[in-house]
Amino acid sequence: MTGPRIVIRLDENGRIYQPGDRLAGEYRMLAIDRDEIKALEISVLWFTEGKGDEDLAVHDFRRLSAEDGDWIDPRRPGRFSTTLPNSPLSYDGRIVKVRWCVRVRAFLKRGREVVGQRLFRLGDVPAAKAPPT
Amino acid sequence: MARTFRYFEKKRGHRRTGSKTLAIVGETVFFTFFLVGGVAGLFVLYFMLVVPQLQANTEFVAHRCLVLDKRIGEKEGDDGMLYRPEIQIEYSIQGERFVVWTYDIWIFDATGGYSAGREENQRILDRFEVGREYVCWYDPQDPSRVVLVRAYRWWLGLLFILPVSFILIGAGRLVYLLLLAGKSAERRSAFTQKAARLAPFEEKGSGAADFPAIPAGVNLTDSPGTALAFRLPAAATPSVALGTTLAAAVIWNGIVAWLLVVSVRGHMRGQPDWPLTVFSLIFAAVGLVLVAWAARHAMVATGVGPTLLEISDQPLRPGGRYQLFVSQTGRLRLRCFEVLLACEEEATYRHGTDTRKELCRVLEQPVFRRDDFDPGRPAPFAASCEVQMPERAMHSFQSAHNEVNWRFIVRGKIAGWPDYERSFPVLVYPSEDGKEGR
Repeated sequence: MTGPRIVIRLDENGRIYQPGDRLAGEYRMLAIDRDEIKALEISVLWFTEGKGDEDLAVHDFRRLSAEDGDWIDPRRPGRFSTTLPNSPLSYDGRIVKVRWCVRVRAFLKRGREVVGQRLFRLGDVPAAKAPPT
Repeated sequence: MARTFRYFEKKRGHRRTGSKTLAIVGETVFFTFFLVGGVAGLFVLYFMLVVPQLQANTEFVAHRCLVLDKRIGEKEGDDGMLYRPEIQIEYSIQGERFVVWTYDIWIFDATGGYSAGREENQRILDRFEVGREYVCWYDPQDPSRVVLVRAYRWWLGLLFILPVSFILIGAGRLVYLLLLAGKSAERRSAFTQKAARLAPFEEKGSGAADFPAIPAGVNLTDSPGTALAFRLPAAATPSVALGTTLAAAVIWNGIVAWLLVVSVRGHMRGQPDWPLTVFSLIFAAVGLVLVAWAARHAMVATGVGPTLLEISDQPLRPGGRYQLFVSQTGRLRLRCFEVLLACEEEATYRHGTDTRKELCRVLEQPVFRRDDFDPGRPAPFAASCEVQMPERAMHSFQSAHNEVNWRFIVRGKIAGWPDYERSFPVLVYPSEDGKEGR
């Protein structure tokens, strides 16, 4: 893939996080010129998947805006870190699923957006089994 | 991954969620109509109600006139006859003679100033004597517009509530949409959460703040028990369920009875209305089902007494052990009586213009069971038992469209009677040390 993209890496790659743990990592913007970026949003959030309409809530949100004088340099990796909350825990239910992720969204000129997302697990709740008959 | 406009977004099973951009455009158009409608209504009311009164009270010129005749004007309205006082006056302006039927400015209004109540209008008429001179006020732009009374009808201001509320709703929502326009879902969520934290009634340091997306469940923990720490509230008491189904059956069958009477009358007159007859029979069939449903609830409510469930601690934690106390009264012999712990997922979604809800029970764990006994004899049945929460269980979860709920279910089977089931919601928090799975 040669187009603009964002790659996110977690410091303790792949491990299951617990409430109160420190989540940290870095993001890199690839094939994006500095002049092109208007703003950058770094979020740690949970969202739902499954049968119901999607719900989303951010736990940690940071916005950098070139218009506000923030320095955004796509050549250098950016860092993020946050303390994870008590809930909701990641859940793989039958019709309700709760996912946690780090999402980095870059706003480019001409209304274009580039989004990078990295899922991680909070807690170790096992997947729901088939409903009882 | 550069994003482009899509009519549909994520695919969810057999359906797709709609485009958020389209939804925002639709919402903007809808509330723009609200705003425009409100502004148009405000203008119409202003020119119909305010301007004529202002002109009559501030711009009309005082003059002398002679009362020639008087009468009560009548008009048939939707709810009966309407009346207004009509007084014929004669006056001259710069040598030109005018003879006009008038009273107040509303006589020249589109509604004609009619109102219900003949007596009130007669009393107004009685204040004027034929052949006497009175002060009148005429419109200098159109001297044929003349009034004998000048006053403001302040109560007409109530009519402005409607367009003003349309403007407030339309403008308020448009401002909200404008604030969120072009903002990412994450930024909108952060904005909404910040606003919620600033809410004046937000309880600082509450359990809800420590455990996001877990319902506060205040009503689940505010009732002390007699045998154990907490008495669990039932999701719906038998009397409420009976009252609801009975009310639905009475209202539905009342409508059905009226439809049947109209239909039968048509048949008796020899002018049968077959579509109405078929329609009424379908409605009657549904009515019978409702009656049967209400009868079933009545049987359960009268034959089975209240169920009490108490627990040693709340909220529950995964892997925790809890004492449970259950009590059941009633005059019928129970073939089977059991208590279960259940976990249910609940998803709400929009399908077209409908909002639908789907439930999925993902856990049903037996807690207590007893067969073949009389709950009411010699004393109300009561039993204690222990329940262990599953290790690494999902906690209670609640967001706008998705939920995970825990509950105890009491299920009874009675020979020859309908089975009954009562539900007692409980709250489950994550493990206290926050270390599921370690």
